[in-house]
Amino acid sequence: MENLDVNRRMIQVHKDRVVVGFPQAQTKNARIDEKYDFDPRVRQSCASERASTVGLKICKMIIIGDMAVGKTCLVNRFCKKAFDRDYKATIGVDFEVERFEILNTPFTLQMWDTAGQERFQCIASAYYRGAQVVVIVFDVSEMRSLASAQSWLEAAQKENAGSQLLTFLVGTKKDLVTDAIYRDVEHEAIKVAKGLHAEYWGVSSKTGENVKELFTRIAALSFEGAVLRELEKRQFATPPKTIGSSSFRIGSTSTQASSKQKLACCKM
Amino acid sequence: METAENTDTKEVLSVLPWDQFSEWMHCVCVVTFDLELGQALEFIYPNHIELSESERSNICYLAFPDSNSGCMGDTQYCFRIRKGRSTRRKLTESDYLCSKDCPVTLLKDDTHYYGYVYFRQVRDKTLKRGYFQKSVVLLSSLPYFNFFKDIADIIAPEYFDNGEPCLEAACHDIDQWPSPVPGKPLTLPLMGMILHVRIPTKQDKPGRKLIEASDNVASLAPFTLSSINRIDLFESLQGVLPHIHLLWELVLLGEPLVVMAPSPTVCASTVLALVSSISPLRCYCDYRPFFTIHDSEFKEYTTKTQAPPRVILGVTNPFFAKTFQHWPHIVRIGDMGLGNSGGSNPSLLSNDSKLKKTSKLKALDSKTGVYTKYKPFLKKDKLFLKTFAKGLAGKRPGTAQSTLLERHFLELTQSFIIPLERYLASLMPLQKCISPLRAPPSLKPFRPEEFFQMVENNGPQLTSGTKGDWVGLYKRFIQSPNFEQWFLRRRSEIEAKIMSLHLVALSETDLESWCYEKSEVEIVDMVLRLRQKISMVTSHRLEVPAATLERLNNQITSITDSLPPDLRGILIKA
Repeated sequence: MENLDVNRRMIQVHKDRVVVGFPQAQTKNARIDEKYDFDPRVRQSCASERASTVGLKICKMIIIGDMAVGKTCLVNRFCKKAFDRDYKATIGVDFEVERFEILNTPFTLQMWDTAGQERFQCIASAYYRGAQVVVIVFDVSEMRSLASAQSWLEAAQKENAGSQLLTFLVGTKKDLVTDAIYRDVEHEAIKVAKGLHAEYWGVSSKTGENVKELFTRIAALSFEGAVLRELEKRQFATPPKTIGSSSFRIGSTSTQASSKQKLACCKM
Repeated sequence: METAENTDTKEVLSVLPWDQFSEWMHCVCVVTFDLELGQALEFIYPNHIELSESERSNICYLAFPDSNSGCMGDTQYCFRIRKGRSTRRKLTESDYLCSKDCPVTLLKDDTHYYGYVYFRQVRDKTLKRGYFQKSVVLLSSLPYFNFFKDIADIIAPEYFDNGEPCLEAACHDIDQWPSPVPGKPLTLPLMGMILHVRIPTKQDKPGRKLIEASDNVASLAPFTLSSINRIDLFESLQGVLPHIHLLWELVLLGEPLVVMAPSPTVCASTVLALVSSISPLRCYCDYRPFFTIHDSEFKEYTTKTQAPPRVILGVTNPFFAKTFQHWPHIVRIGDMGLGNSGGSNPSLLSNDSKLKKTSKLKALDSKTGVYTKYKPFLKKDKLFLKTFAKGLAGKRPGTAQSTLLERHFLELTQSFIIPLERYLASLMPLQKCISPLRAPPSLKPFRPEEFFQMVENNGPQLTSGTKGDWVGLYKRFIQSPNFEQWFLRRRSEIEAKIMSLHLVALSETDLESWCYEKSEVEIVDMVLRLRQKISMVTSHRLEVPAATLERLNNQITSITDSLPPDLRGILIKA
């Protein structure tokens, strides 16, 4: 019965993308929350809204980190179940959308996989704007990439002042190092993650180890955040139309960004 | 070991880099002002795109406001240029999908590019000239005026602030877009945002509610129906509101028309508004929202040795006032104190809004108005103008006035088309004339006199409140390129329809018994003809039910089987 309901509403969601239980963090030492289940308010809200399609949840996630640490590989492993060993630098940004169903509620995760190259830093502000989730990627076989995690996060925060970012620190290429080395790296990474208030994950896009778990966790936590934000807004104001502020409507009156520009032009 | 084989090879093969980009755009050009060279093409992105010499030169000149119009700050407008060489290539599956349900006014243009310009001019003391002057031009074959204006509005300021990688990133985003297929909700990522767009289809009901409570984008309004190419008619035409009916006729008839305005934004939007006033008919005459003296068609279009060409030009350079002195119809939009010029608009209905005679037009006379000797065939729709004037007086919001105007034009144009369509339908051969074993019947010829006769008794006067000499208007229209192209298109659509009806009839015929008394030669001929028809279905994209095709194929097999083995062998090989 429940499945019927699900099928009717969410035809596109693959069974891999259905989340019922609360996904756990990888390590107790650096995790975002201390819970073992969804927030009761979220469970309740999703249970009561099951029949309706109102309140679509969308989150914007940005994936950042040094060049060649494997950001695109990570996304491709999850979204396309593929691993391409050839390196191809990302031009600007790659974009993927993943649809989930969490607690019987549709959820969309927009993934903006950004370029690590220095020359694309100038476009960062446009792409970082309005993000709710930040995934900072580093290469466990290249410690320097861990050292820059801090500055990556700062850049993301700068564009999202005033909003709380759900932050993940992800070490990739776990298959390239021995277990002993990995343990050392993990130890370091957990320290960094704690400093950044981030949740730590170690993965391999090549073998697929922990990749699905990571994204499921990201989806669950960002979904929870989205629902909570919505509940909060509902308490204070008229119900918002959209969650996920990164959508843009053409044809309507000008967007915030462009009206700001127009103001700026007038002053000149 | 997992390698690239695991990735979706099919996708990798079919979509090459820039394939998707080119579905939407040809390229992005950055034009700068060089102290020695003047306007110069700084670069083109993607950089493998080649432009012909005349394309380059046109883009350079059209990317900047002509003469010294004081366009400080940011200016946006649109231009249209001829494609240098015919880029006609083989139609792909995607071309077919994009054009199948597309309204004619939104079809990809095979012969012209549209340039969507974002020009910035600001004081910059660090530069020798004292000014920063640069343009970003999005070049596309798609006449999505509003859409690309918004896209330029997103991309260009980012580029001015942060440089070339922005264009690279934006173009890369566009390269990930799905094809512009009408009717589908499209999700277009761009510079960290998602645009939700729906390109209208020709089956859309005008004024249809756009935001459908669809499953997954319910709360993200898709692109509104007409907004992809919608022009704010009220804002664009407010200087000439008393003459909108006359202007509509001029555009419909493909008359030579020039719009003189103080800025490229104003002349371009006026030209586009005029062109779109006859929608759903397409303006097949050339139109140039912004035209300069450097344009490669300048000589061709301003020659005095021939009658003025059937084009609509938007110009700003005062020099043109003289050049176009001999043109029959001139729209002059003076200094636009935009928003207020129509403030009281006493002249909307009264007769002092008389047309100005062309001869009175002096080089520096910049009084807003329409200068023509043309006598409209139709009378002004007073009822509409009254409603409209009331809205002006009552300060009805501009968008509402625009919608009102748009609907009025649409009704007018539709009233105009309906009799043509009705007559065309009467030229269709009757169903019973479609005989499977004879060639498909053809459309009866269009006989103007017969048509005019029909209009006399059964014309637009039935559906439209507008009075006047409708027959006279049709007489002129039938000589215009707008009619010719409209008719050619409709005729080929109808012929395709007849062809598919014929195929259905053929597939339902008992060919085996037909073969009974036929000679081998005739049977072989039938097989070859059937094959040819089947191949035509794919080559002409005929819409034929799958069952019909299957039956036709079965018939080929059974007829072939009735032939002696040697002949059968040859036929199968052939």
